[in-house]
Amino acid sequence: MDTRLLFLISCFIARLSFSLSASGELNSFESVPDLEKSMYTIVDGYPCVRLLNLSGEIGCSNPGHGKVAAPVVKFKNVNQLVEPSAILVSLDELDSLLARVSKDTNFASLVAGILVESGTPGGNNFKGFSPELKFPEAEFAPYQNKNFEWNPSGSGIMWKAYNFPVFLLSENSTLALLEAATKNEKSKKSYTSDVAEFGLVMQTTKSGTHDSESCLREETCLPLGGYSVWSALPPINTSTSQKSKPIILAVTSMDSASFFRDKSLGADSPISGLIALLAAVDALSHLNGLHLSKQLVFVVFTGEAWGFLGSRRFLLELDQHSDAVSGLDFTLIETVLEIGSVGKSFDQGVKKFFVHTTEAASISNQTLDALKRAQDSLKTENVKISVASKSNPGIPPSSLMMFLRKNPDSSGIVLEDFDTAFTNKFYHSHLDNLSNINASAIAAASSLVARSLYILASEKNEINDSVLTAISVNSSFIDELLGCLLDCEPGLSCDLVNQYISPSAACPSHYVGVIQGEPSSSPYPGYVGDVSRFLWNFLADKTSVPTENRSATCPKHCSGTGELCIRGETDGKGVCVISSTRYVPAYSTRLKFESDMWKLLPTNSSDIMGAADPVWTESNWDTITLRVYSVQHASYDRLILLLGISVTVAAYIAIVITRSVIRKALKRD
Amino acid sequence: MTVAAGIGYALLALGPSLSLFVAVISQKPFLILTVLSSTLLWLMSLIVLAGVWRAFLPFKTTPSSSAWLPYSILILSSVVFQEGLRVLFWRIYKKLEDILDAFADRVSKPRLFLTDKMQIALAGGMGHGVAHAVFFCLSLLTPAFGPATFYVEKCSQMPFFLVSSMIALAFVTIHTFSMVIAFNGYAEGNRVDQLIVPVVHLVAGMLTLVNLASGGCIIGIPLLYCMALFTLLHCGKMVWKRLADSQNR
Repeated sequence: MDTRLLFLISCFIARLSFSLSASGELNSFESVPDLEKSMYTIVDGYPCVRLLNLSGEIGCSNPGHGKVAAPVVKFKNVNQLVEPSAILVSLDELDSLLARVSKDTNFASLVAGILVESGTPGGNNFKGFSPELKFPEAEFAPYQNKNFEWNPSGSGIMWKAYNFPVFLLSENSTLALLEAATKNEKSKKSYTSDVAEFGLVMQTTKSGTHDSESCLREETCLPLGGYSVWSALPPINTSTSQKSKPIILAVTSMDSASFFRDKSLGADSPISGLIALLAAVDALSHLNGLHLSKQLVFVVFTGEAWGFLGSRRFLLELDQHSDAVSGLDFTLIETVLEIGSVGKSFDQGVKKFFVHTTEAASISNQTLDALKRAQDSLKTENVKISVASKSNPGIPPSSLMMFLRKNPDSSGIVLEDFDTAFTNKFYHSHLDNLSNINASAIAAASSLVARSLYILASEKNEINDSVLTAISVNSSFIDELLGCLLDCEPGLSCDLVNQYISPSAACPSHYVGVIQGEPSSSPYPGYVGDVSRFLWNFLADKTSVPTENRSATCPKHCSGTGELCIRGETDGKGVCVISSTRYVPAYSTRLKFESDMWKLLPTNSSDIMGAADPVWTESNWDTITLRVYSVQHASYDRLILLLGISVTVAAYIAIVITRSVIRKALKRD
Repeated sequence: MTVAAGIGYALLALGPSLSLFVAVISQKPFLILTVLSSTLLWLMSLIVLAGVWRAFLPFKTTPSSSAWLPYSILILSSVVFQEGLRVLFWRIYKKLEDILDAFADRVSKPRLFLTDKMQIALAGGMGHGVAHAVFFCLSLLTPAFGPATFYVEKCSQMPFFLVSSMIALAFVTIHTFSMVIAFNGYAEGNRVDQLIVPVVHLVAGMLTLVNLASGGCIIGIPLLYCMALFTLLHCGKMVWKRLADSQNR
């Protein structure tokens, strides 16, 4: 029976290539599944997905339960649409197309889906592209003026809801789809057309849950969130009863946002700041055994683009004195130094940074003095610091806003590469990539931050100039980090990252994602994102003090107080160190994970920010697909069916007639 | 191309066989058995041929002109094998006929009439045709039930599945009626009829090579239908003559 089966399979193979060649196709298929695969072209696309908040939804989704297939049409022919079509549009026309869809319902019914071409549009009119609002996260600002335009290029398109799928194409797929659209234009009279099939079915659309509360209850969505990482240099010794030192907090964030979920690189905002901080930590870690009179703590938040999830949760955990922040105390925080976007500060050889300060006068001046002193020590590098313009209503959108909302007397500064408006013309878009930043700008910011932190953490009389000038940032380390965090080659499979973790994907994406499982301070590593895990391992390594038992490989033998197992994912070569590095879950303070489900908590008077929180969630989905193939018109299909039936019936009639003729002929005689 | 088109293609290739089955074959159980065993026999022959030729496929030919030669050899060998099998099929049938006639004598019932013998030949031919259609057309038809269509570069006027079904229909006709002609030829010892069947089979097979050329399907398929029509007419003529002769006797 097995040999029969083998022959059957081999015969199909042989006869298939024979008959296919008999019909003239010389590139041979080896099987019927091969034939089927060649009929459908799978297209690389980055989708825009459905996100929900307490009052409604944003983003894109298929309108129903099934896939949507529509012929591909170029945007310039959009006025001649007769049936629902998939519109192929370039980035500079996207805003006007979406605006027209929102205004004109007749036109909207003709739009089955949108495909955005890849690449930056040429031409002088293209000044920038930012789907974000003109004042991102304005509802959280600690000042009244909510109309100030921090992001003048902002169109706000990512905050609207669309009832059709939108995909961003890769370079190769753009060419394939342009071909398909041209083919459709040429063969208007023929029976075939090339269609794009969108598989962007969102579970919240299927189940009819259109806001966060209902979708969390029906479990058709998950809340946005992740894991922030904090680390102390030198490690905090919680067991000794020493008087706790005042804390200097260096803050940055690791997440960005974009219209297209998987293309959120955020090179300038905020990854340039993150890289500056990491290089500063690297530089400071070489200050071996130095006595600092204040405690340096580095925090990297996630979820900041979606309602400051990381910083709000961090502040809440500080209030609750929870496990995740053991060793820290909000009252001990003397000042906050936040590193915002620093990648575009390079202007004709001079690296200009702007310091946005809070109102608390005296201590902020201290920070400013530290920065100025650091700037002076970097004379050779052409670094210039200025205080931000007084006409600004306050600090730009940043995690420091949350500290200010908690305690309006907080002292802190945000270091940015802009003064009154973002210099980043691609804020929160897929074009905020490596070409949008400058590595030497990041190196300058990093040196500035490292030296300022040393100055801030030491008493005035203890600052040693030789130590100060010895703090230098490794620019090849910055280049390596740029390649790891902002590029697909080598991406997260670069050596630096591979030393610490085994990443799940090579191409980095800095979208915060959804929080999986139960949030805790020691989460299951599979539920923590690649970048968070890398940061945890990296910071723990750089701020660590080695343990006595050097030969111990963890996770065994590494459970003493303050002991951590780093590099645990790299084939059992884990190293046990003493370090104060913890994960802090980042999710909305209005949510609670209880009995395997997420519950929305009512607004609490102690949580002022919770009232303004939209509570972002992301819909679940099965798979997201995008395919292109040729389709016959329905009339042609029906014609074929009719042909088949008529041939059968005609044959039947002919046979019956012949049979009766023969019978009559036989009976005649 | 959706379910409608898929069913259309399947009916196009096998509809007439279905009609023949319903109108003629299904009346007599013996004919149904003949069709089934014939289909099985010819399917097995195709499998054996494919198994042997698998070792030589795919042909490594770059210029399209030289693709003709290996494919011609493939077709020639397959036709020769199948025609040889047809002779074997005839011998088995002859033995069966003798057994049935002896049985009929024993129970004092009439022997096989001429029309019965022709119907058995027709059923045998139909089995051959159905085997061909299943093997060459139906096995490829699954993608036709999906939403997409497929056009081959060298035949851009018609979808691939339509071409496949039309060729299959022509061959079903050829095989069904060839068997009647062949059995008649072997029974009467008529050399012309005996030779005409292999020649028609070979010519039809070679005609499909015309499709290898760009745009060849526009010429190849009508020519193939000419062959099918020729077979049909020749069979009709022969049957009529034979019946007339038997009545006159």
